[in-house]
Amino acid sequence: MKLVTKTNTYYLIFFIFLFPLMIAADYYLIQYVVITEVDEILQHESERIRFELKEKGTLPSSNYVFNTTTVKEEQPVLNVFKDTLIYEAYTDKLIPYRTYEFMASADSQRIKISLRHVLLEMNELIVWLFATTSLIILVLVVGLYVINQGIYKWAWKPFFENLSKLKNYEITKKNPVGLEASNISEFEELNKIVVTLMDQVKKDFQNLREFNENISHEIQTPLAIIRNKMILLLESQNLNKKELQWVQAVYQEANKLSKIGKSLTLISRIENQEFIRLDNVDIRTIVDNIINNMEEMIKFKNLEIKVELNPVKIKCDLILANILFTNLIKNAVQHNQEGGYITILLNEEKFEIINSGEVSKIATEQLFRRFQRGNTATDSLGLGLAINQKICELYGFRLDYYRHGGTHTFSLFF
Amino acid sequence: MKILVIEDNVELLQDIKNFLEEEGNICEIAQDYKSAFMKVGIFPYDVLVVDITLPDGIGLDIIKEVKKENIDVGIIIISAKNAVGDKVNGLEIGADDYLTKPFYLVELNARIKALYRRKVYRGSKEIVFNEIKIKPENHEVFVNNRLMNLTKKEFEVIHFFVANRNRLLTKEAIAEHLWGDQIEMADSFDFIYTHLANLRKKIAKLGGEDYIKSIYSVGYKFTERE
Repeated sequence: MKLVTKTNTYYLIFFIFLFPLMIAADYYLIQYVVITEVDEILQHESERIRFELKEKGTLPSSNYVFNTTTVKEEQPVLNVFKDTLIYEAYTDKLIPYRTYEFMASADSQRIKISLRHVLLEMNELIVWLFATTSLIILVLVVGLYVINQGIYKWAWKPFFENLSKLKNYEITKKNPVGLEASNISEFEELNKIVVTLMDQVKKDFQNLREFNENISHEIQTPLAIIRNKMILLLESQNLNKKELQWVQAVYQEANKLSKIGKSLTLISRIENQEFIRLDNVDIRTIVDNIINNMEEMIKFKNLEIKVELNPVKIKCDLILANILFTNLIKNAVQHNQEGGYITILLNEEKFEIINSGEVSKIATEQLFRRFQRGNTATDSLGLGLAINQKICELYGFRLDYYRHGGTHTFSLFF
Repeated sequence: MKILVIEDNVELLQDIKNFLEEEGNICEIAQDYKSAFMKVGIFPYDVLVVDITLPDGIGLDIIKEVKKENIDVGIIIISAKNAVGDKVNGLEIGADDYLTKPFYLVELNARIKALYRRKVYRGSKEIVFNEIKIKPENHEVFVNNRLMNLTKKEFEVIHFFVANRNRLLTKEAIAEHLWGDQIEMADSFDFIYTHLANLRKKIAKLGGEDYIKSIYSVGYKFTERE
């Protein structure tokens, strides 16, 4: 949910609860004020009447008096305010009144006098209150909405601009992200932190990349020298059988080390997104070439190969595409058994390769991990699928593995 | 042929120099950008072998200079960077071939010979070894002037062998030559063994001698010496 929508929703919820509360509060407040005022008027009038009765002995004229009765002595004295509805013939309606009864004495007689004062009609009051309160709240809501939109648009502007800039930020790109300056201190602080973080990450990334480059460079030259010297040793005729075996072992391990180095470097290069070329790669041609290159190997293992290739073009790095499909096809050949089969299918949606092979014991999810070998007896490094996984991550492809007994299926969805 | 090898590692440089001189070439060396630059400007070479990373410059700049001066020379890049960008850049600015370190000297040798043949003889030169004659551009091999019926890989093997006659070719080097360095296959050594057996038979059938000698269990040598 967007920030502005969220804020507005909270405001709306707040007002929905506030609205009846405000009306209720208003209603009781006004009622209290009116009644107190009326009571005061009646009280005042009663005192005036009492005084006049005492001084002059006659009941003064008053707009409020509506009833007087003489009462006997023993009746208790009651001074009470009451709300009553009195029928008024002229409007044919019951009108709410506030009444006040009190005792007064004139000529040794006790008189009960009732005073009354018309009250405002509460129904009307509620309607008016509702109307005015609604209006006020409406104005408030509209005003707040407008202000909020304005704040969102102007005050948050640098924030959102920086957000989209950060979204497009790529660590592999050299140019720095110029963040929008803001006069809001929180945003400035955030910018500062983000810039510091980016610098740190970039520095680490550069270090890592340099380290990788250096390692691959520094390791390969000594390995080349080791290999060359081993060949010289092997070519010399002066070694006995045991020594020859040692030299041979060193030679083979140096080879393996070199290949591990190359593969790991490739993986980190893919992870570092150093492959940014987007060639329009003709997958059918690539697969065809790889199969041709391995044709005799396939014949050598007596594999029955069935190929159905449709023309497919995909935007990716040509070299990575070559590695990806080489690894898949190579695996199908390598992990196959004598006289087995390979079926390859390529269409717009996917590349699928099915091969026969031994029943593998490795869990499917383990298969893509580094140095995981399908068969411990073979000399493979177990990096092929890890590399493939990285390539797929880079381009958003999905690589699925499925096996059923001795049938292994790799499906690559573009 | 005259070759200049530009490489900053002395040990590797000596290995390459010794190997190429044993092949009958004149091989000069340069350890840094400056001396390489000077030598390229003064002496005519047939082939340059250039390392990309040098202590005082980038090998690619030497290639650019050579191309700018219009010097007719074959160029092979050797780089440990394994950087795809290097390869693409190098080939784009006019290098003829690219090898990633660590490479097999026999592979370098085969590439240099192929490059030289393409440059100087426009690929038309035949390679002759006693009764065996190879026409690389047609992928044809003759034994006693009779055409051999070879598969693609068999041709590549015999071509590689003849280019590196009297050299120890390890199984690893042969496998990498045949399939490239992306394919490390467990079965490839068995495959090579079977192929060489077939090749021997085919040469013998046309009255050729068996020059393929097995060297311990490490590899093979194509030689007429015992």
